[in-house]
Order: sequence, then structure tokens, then C-alpha cells
Amino acid sequence: MSLDDLIRSAKVWRAGQVPPGRSVTTGFPTLDALLPKRGWPYPALVELLTDFDGIGALGLCLPVLAALSQQRWLIWVAPPHLPQAPVLQRHGINLARILMIQPATPRAGSADSNSHLWAFEQALRCGDCGASLVWLEHVEPLHLRRLQQACEVGDNLGFLFRPARYAAEASPAALRLLLTPAAKAGLCVELLKGKRGQATISVHPAQGA
Amino acid sequence: MYSDRAEFKVRQPARNLRAVPATPRAPVTVAASRLWLAIRLPQFPLEVVLRGAEQERACVLVAGQGTRQRVLFVNALAARLNIRPGLPLSAVQALGEVVTLTQDPLAEARALEQLCRWAYQFSPLVSATGTGLVLEVQGSRRLFGGLKELFGRLRRELRELGYRGALAVAPTPGAAMALASAQRQQVVTTPEALAGALHELPIEALVLTSTQLQDLYAIGVRTVGDCGRLPREGLGRRFAPELLRMLDQIYGRQPDPRRYFEPPKEFFSRLELPWEVRQTQALHTAMRRLLHELTATLRAQAATTRELHWVLHQTDNTCSHHVVGLGTPSRDIERLSLVTRERFHRETLNSPVRALELRVTAVEAEVAPAMSDLFQPTPACAAESWPQFTARLRARLGEEALQGIAVDSDHRPERATTWIKWQGSNWQAEKLPLKLPPYAPLRVTKSQRPLWLTHRPIPLYEREGRLEWHGGLVVGTERERIESGWWGESIARDYFVATDRHGIQWWVYKELTGQKTWYLQGIFEGAANESR
Repeated sequence: MSLDDLIRSAKVWRAGQVPPGRSVTTGFPTLDALLPKRGWPYPALVELLTDFDGIGALGLCLPVLAALSQQRWLIWVAPPHLPQAPVLQRHGINLARILMIQPATPRAGSADSNSHLWAFEQALRCGDCGASLVWLEHVEPLHLRRLQQACEVGDNLGFLFRPARYAAEASPAALRLLLTPAAKAGLCVELLKGKRGQATISVHPAQGA
Repeated sequence: MYSDRAEFKVRQPARNLRAVPATPRAPVTVAASRLWLAIRLPQFPLEVVLRGAEQERACVLVAGQGTRQRVLFVNALAARLNIRPGLPLSAVQALGEVVTLTQDPLAEARALEQLCRWAYQFSPLVSATGTGLVLEVQGSRRLFGGLKELFGRLRRELRELGYRGALAVAPTPGAAMALASAQRQQVVTTPEALAGALHELPIEALVLTSTQLQDLYAIGVRTVGDCGRLPREGLGRRFAPELLRMLDQIYGRQPDPRRYFEPPKEFFSRLELPWEVRQTQALHTAMRRLLHELTATLRAQAATTRELHWVLHQTDNTCSHHVVGLGTPSRDIERLSLVTRERFHRETLNSPVRALELRVTAVEAEVAPAMSDLFQPTPACAAESWPQFTARLRARLGEEALQGIAVDSDHRPERATTWIKWQGSNWQAEKLPLKLPPYAPLRVTKSQRPLWLTHRPIPLYEREGRLEWHGGLVVGTERERIESGWWGESIARDYFVATDRHGIQWWVYKELTGQKTWYLQGIFEGAANESR
């Protein structure tokens, strides 16, 4: 590997130059246009906040998951419902690269979500994973900071799905998006961190992957 | 100078007189070419009993019966209470709250064997004596970066194992042990310097019976040098010829044959806990001690393992077995310790633990890691690898918490996805259903399928032409009938796509039989919606 390749790969940069933030396309041109880095920041922790089950939060992630699953592992920590393999496959996701983690204790409460958080952090630290997803309620800001760092250690994209009421809390996540239903059709994405803005996206595969 | 008693002994008839071995002509050459390192363990019997303890308490080790029990060893906390070896137990109890322990000869023998295994990584010639170990280090001193480095490492690892050792080096094993016993960290590398080093050594440093010691005191012998000055013949007559032989061996005038340790193929070690332990967290120190023994053994054999068998012996005379799998073979103490900790994190003890066992039956030859390219754009070096990650998950969350998913060729929506049990660090390929091309049946139906299914169908109620769910669902017109599974759990349903007032789409069905109830079964999640 030559020095030029190294510099191009953005792992190394010259002194005095702003470290280039890497990103990866979301697969939705309107969303890419909204995001500061014109795509999902990578490696980073991304928070998707919504109160609407089924609004398409996961749908936003599918194109990037499909791309990452060709090379690396996707970890799903305790998904709230049962993901359907045929549909994921139709979206181009390599099923052989999916690991579902379902901590066995069905008991509700803090101990349970602790093990979800723990598993999520471990997944983010693993260099062979590409993206990890978790559905959580309250997370301490200190833990969010750890998660963001874990993403950088493992070169990972972490998607954290949370209810919208946490939008007011400060978070060290690299990107925070608030998802609400759009007036007519589709989904309204609001950028919560950095330069504020919003866009309406209709999440359809024809537009995506 | 001679006491009466000694005189009396000299006057013993010749019947008792044994042949005095003649002085060997020249120092044995073997002694010159070898260098011995002795590890003396002054507190060994106490440490054997106490080394599994998580927190420190004032402890004494006593010997004797009934009212004649006397203190043999004290730990640091007990010493702070002014308790000294030799005190009667009754006096100790007046000085403070102290845990009284008794010697465990069986555990001592086992611990000494474990120490031999550990020491075997430093030398192929390891021999145990009653009070410690001797190892030949002439060959290996360079390998470990010199004697100073080796001393540091031995001391550090001994501490990890739960022992405190005094070290010394000499050209003969006996001399090394004597120097270590005197707690002088002395290094004597040439036979010429040996006599000088031994000269001032107190006589207690030798392995002698108490009567021998008293007799030597009686004739005014205080140091090893004094012994050497005495007429050889007289000394041989006065004491058993063993004393002469021992002195000759210490000075290298006679060979000192020893039984050397041979490592067994299987690793097994047991640790008795000084007091009962109720929480698994309190077992970590003890577990780490055993893991240190294991990693040293594996290192000595250039081997690795991928499975640890833990046995916890509990107070209700039951024992529980726990297998800790590692994914990839390893002998890294941090990794073994971490995975073990994660494994026991989710265990609750139904009765207190009094002893621990660690067994490793299968070892694997170490595979040298391939040199990775320095400039290879691999993930950050601190990142964990996949096998490490999954091993840790399995250890903490259990085998059953890890699943993969695959497509199954079943028309029933709830069977179209199969959950695959996670096996090892990768899939068991034969478990993947390969009956039909992945989604052939779905393509035939050309129908919509939601991204999510609910864990079980949720019954819905109808009111004013709407289904009660999130402010009312409007059911679409397109109907898909699924009737399948006559061979087992059969279904007969009409599926529809329903939309709530936010435009979110849900997958609902109406039963064709029975109560004809409506159910909600799927969530499209936007992207799954295939209609344009």
C-alpha cells in the first residue's frame, strides 16, 4: 500500500489539514442532502428518535445495512419485533452476516436493558462488525459517550432507536434525527444536532437501494 | 567448647559408628556447569490455605491439639496485632479478632505440584523440596533477559499466584536453597565464590531436624562456615552421615541427584477457599489464581486451550460444573479471566462455595500469529476480533441468546423466517434450510410482506368500519389469502394492508374460520412497502 493510498483512505492526514470526516451514503438523496456530511457519519453513533412505531426508522438504515453486510457483520441487539428474513434479503442484506442478540432474561427492568447496552457496546467495539442496532429507552449521557467512543474503536456504525422524549436531552452522538410523520405522505426527518434543518423523505425501496 | 552431652555422644560405643565417607577428591564438574535458582516459600502453609481469599483478614495458622495449639504462621494483618509464631492459641484470641486456620497437607502437596508446573516454563529441570523449589537456570537465564529480569518476573508471578518467595542463585541446588532460606537475595554464579557466600550463613538455613540443630548449637556451631571448620571425621561420627553428605552436596563436592518434575498432559488444579463464599464476584481472586497456574502451564508447553471446565464445590455437598468456551484457543490470562468473569456474572449460587476446581483436558499447539501488514487498513488495533466478541457474548448472555436468521420456504408468514442457533464462532452451514431458492414462494405471490412481525398476532376490534389501533386503521382493498400448513399448525387468513391516520402501514388479517377475528401481525416500516 503506498503513502498516497493511505492519505486517500483518510486514515492518515497531514498536519494543518482538517481531519476528513468519513461518511457513507444513506441511499436516500434527500436525506444525504440534509446531513452535514452528505451521508451517515462513519464511524459514529447515530440516534434515531421517534414515537411512531413503523414510521420507517429502520427503513432509513436498510440501504447502508445492505451495503455493510456484504463485508462485515450486522448486530441486532434485542429488536422489538421479529424481523422478516425474506424482506431483509429482498433489500439486499446478506442474512449470513446477521447476528441477533436476544438476552434470554425476559424480565423487564434495569438489569435487562443493562445487558442490551452492554451487548451493544461490545458489538461496537468489535472490529469485524459493520453496524449495530439497539432499541433502548433511557441511557445515561456517560454511557452514550462510551458508545460513541466504542464506535470509533471498532470502526462501526451504531444505530440507537429511542422514543422522541429524549430529544431534549443532550447527547454526544455524532448525529441525532427526530422522525415524525409527514403531513401528506412519508416521513419528516429533523436534524437535532449541529446545523438544524429538516427534510421530508418518503422511504420507498424504489428510491433507496 | 564441647558440652557434656556432646562428649557423651562421642563416647558412644563403636556399634553406632558408621563409616565416614571420605572427602571426594575434587569438586564434581557437573556442579560447575549448572546454575540453580531456589525459591523458598517461608509462608507456604498459610498461603496455600489463604490464597483464594478475596478480602484480607487477620489470620493465623495453628498446629497441635486442644489446649496445646500454637501459632505456626501469621499473616501481615495478624502480625500488626502483635501476634507472633509460637504463641499459644489462647493468647492469640485475647489479642484480637483472628481467623484460625489449620494446615492442609493435601492442599500443600497439590499446590507444590502446581508450582512445579508453573516453574517448568522457566526451566526444564524443576525439583520440589519441602520448603520450595529449585530450578536450573544456566540454560534459560539468557532467554529471560538475565537473572535480574528473571527474578523480577518470578517475584511478580508468584505474587499473582498468591505466594511470597525468597530467591537465591548458586552453583548447587543445596546452596541456592540455603541462601534463599536465609532470605538473602544472593546470586553466586561461580563455584569459587560459593565457599565465601556460605561461610557466614546461619546454620538454620540448612535443612536440619530440631535435634540436629540443638546438637550443633551445643558444640558451638552457629554458621555453615563453622561446620566446615570442624574435623570431618568427628562431624561424621557425631551426626548421621547425611549431614556430611548434605554439606558436600551444598559445596558441590558430591553430586546432588534429585527427582525432577515431569509435566502431566492434563491440567487440573483445585483451590480450597478459607471461608465460604456466597457471591460469584467473591470468587474472582481464587479463579484468577487458578488461571495464572493454567496459563503458566500452557506457556511452558507452548500450548493453548479453547475450553475451561470449572467445578464449584458447594457446602451442601453438591458441585456444579461450568464449561467456559473461548471461541479461539488462547492462553492469555486477561482473556481467560474476562471470559470466566462474564460467564459467572449471570450465575447465582444456591449454596455457598467452599472449593474451586479448574480442569483443562484438551490443549492445542500454539499457532504463531501471521505477521500482519503494518500498513494494512485494518480496523483500529484496540478493536476486538469477531471470535473474541462472540466468545464474550456467549459467556455472559448464554448460548441461546445468540441467533442468526434465514429464509424458510413456508407460506405461513410466521414460519418464513427461521431462527438459527448460533454454534461456535460461525454458522453451522448444514442448518441453513436449502430446500428452495431463497424467496421463490414470495415471488410467486407477488405480495407485500412487512419488515417486522409482532411476537404474536394482536387481536383488533372493529368499530364504525375501522379497526381500533393507533386512532383507527383504514383497511385497504387488496386482499391476499393465505391458507397453508394443513400438515401441522394450519392457517386460513385474509391479509390486508391497513393505514393509520399518520399514514403508517400495518399488516392485518381476518381469520376465515372460527370467530373471524381481526388481528394485527406486521409492521411495514416504510421501506418494506413495495407499492409505489
